[in-house]
Amino acid sequence: MSSTLFKRASLFSVVGVLALGPLALFAQSAQANSLNPTATTRKNAGTPNSTINVKKNGTVIKYGNKYITYSSPSTKLDALGEALYMENCASCHGTTANGVPASGVSGAFPDLVGLGPATIDFWISSGRMPAKDPRAVEAPRRQAALSSTQAVAIAAWVNSLDPSYPSIPKPNLKNASVSEGAAIFALNCAACHTIEGDGDALASSTFSPSLRHIPAYQVVEAIRTGPANMPRFTGNLSDKQVADVTKYVTSYIQHPQNPGGFGLGGLGPVAEGFVALLIGVGFLVLICYWIGERT
Amino acid sequence: MSEHDEHRTPVSLSGLSADDSHLQPAAKNPHTVEMVISIMFVIGAILTAGFGAAYWVNAKPWILGATMGGGLFFLGIGLVAWGKYLMPRGPFVEERHTLANSEADRDAFAAAIVERGGSVVKRRKMLAGLLGGGLGIFGVVAMFPLIRSLGPLPKGTLFHTDWRKGSFAVDQTGRRVSVGDLAVGSIVTVFPEGKQNTDRGQAVDQTVLIRVSNEHFTTQKGRESWAPHGYVAYSKVCTHLGCPVGLYEQQLQLLVCPCHQSMFNVTNGAVPQFGPAPRPLPQLPLYVDSDGFIRAQADYDQPVGPGFWERS
Repeated sequence: MSSTLFKRASLFSVVGVLALGPLALFAQSAQANSLNPTATTRKNAGTPNSTINVKKNGTVIKYGNKYITYSSPSTKLDALGEALYMENCASCHGTTANGVPASGVSGAFPDLVGLGPATIDFWISSGRMPAKDPRAVEAPRRQAALSSTQAVAIAAWVNSLDPSYPSIPKPNLKNASVSEGAAIFALNCAACHTIEGDGDALASSTFSPSLRHIPAYQVVEAIRTGPANMPRFTGNLSDKQVADVTKYVTSYIQHPQNPGGFGLGGLGPVAEGFVALLIGVGFLVLICYWIGERT
Repeated sequence: MSEHDEHRTPVSLSGLSADDSHLQPAAKNPHTVEMVISIMFVIGAILTAGFGAAYWVNAKPWILGATMGGGLFFLGIGLVAWGKYLMPRGPFVEERHTLANSEADRDAFAAAIVERGGSVVKRRKMLAGLLGGGLGIFGVVAMFPLIRSLGPLPKGTLFHTDWRKGSFAVDQTGRRVSVGDLAVGSIVTVFPEGKQNTDRGQAVDQTVLIRVSNEHFTTQKGRESWAPHGYVAYSKVCTHLGCPVGLYEQQLQLLVCPCHQSMFNVTNGAVPQFGPAPRPLPQLPLYVDSDGFIRAQADYDQPVGPGFWERS
């Protein structure tokens, strides 16, 4: 009698565990979902959780606010994008954009699925992709091999595999503040890109690129997606702050004021010191020689 | 050759005849040189006047500099050329007499000083003592600004930051950072709430908050609870010389100091793996409160920044 009771109790406990286990797992995954590793929960920070939110057939195709609007590429470009992708990208990233080429091993090239159109558009429109040397530590900025429409088309097709964000940004810098942008730049960007925006060497053969000739939308794309070693700026910067820093980069950094009339490439006090020594002191030495020379 | 040597022989000015070669200008054709010098002076005068005009209309700094510098430059060139090419070529010499007084004069003078001075001071002992006392006090007081210029004693401030148990982590605008804010690979510089705009807050309390993963994250033994949901926080003050360690390379998972290229391993307790930094960056223990805000469990467990004398 007591043994059957024991058996029933153990049976109940087994059933209980079987029933509750998946529930517990579900609860855990719900917690994980609320902490999306690729996006922020902050409002107006580059995600569809924004003031403007335009949906079409259930998916958000345009979102943002008065500072930046993000638009998904038109699905009409999917076919063109697929053709361009197969021609320019598939040899490394694979025909399904999962980073596994037909002849290679996985892990050598990045998986592109779910990165969002802004990432794809940034890498192609800044000329970094298709890479000149796919084995290089860091792809340098080059003259873009594909037109901006072609870049958007490839972004459209990759996005159609797994629709994701951030979409391609269009900053409106009219309402942005240069002075606030300067403060944000000094705190968040200047450490790597230098306070003049010229870029510099970093660890392990990597470098931070110059910001001199970058269109505003690419500045936003880089901030929001964090290409290569650059950190991603998600919920730590609002769209207003991103617009501020973009305005600072495209105005003051790209068109610096040089009260002396000659910026020397903004390379800083070392370059200026060398010029002062070579030209200034050299000239003074010649003058001294002339004054002291016997006639 | 001999004539040339004769020109170069130093002669005395007195007794030279007016047509002596030493009194002729150095230039072979003085009229041409005079013309060149006058052109220099005219250019210098024009530029100097231009400087005045530029100053009057409040012109750009580089115009002010160019006109003033150019004006002085051409006037100076003309002046030096005048001295070199149009003045008597010389060289001249003049014997000079000895400057020192005779031995007897000097001895008499010294004796007079000692005798008269000594008798005066002896007669007014009180005054001399008071003067000595006043000068002595002045010497002591003169030490005050010297000691004051060394600044206040640091006392315990080197050992602690403003992070406290329960301090909210806020960004530079004072906005509290919540656990959903950052995606993996994001970094933000945080301060204890209320200190983000203070000098000490920006110097000592500055902390980098990085989301390195989507799970609870352990960097080292004993720090199991310090990095909830993959949020890890390190002092932004380099342990080498105190520069802000602001370079986060998210693929290499390195924090790099821009001053001397110290590199700290973000995924392993910010242990330095290259460069002159002697210690890991101190890690701030974090927790997520019931509202989802990121807060400090406590202050740093060790002094932040570079080493100092009393640091154990």
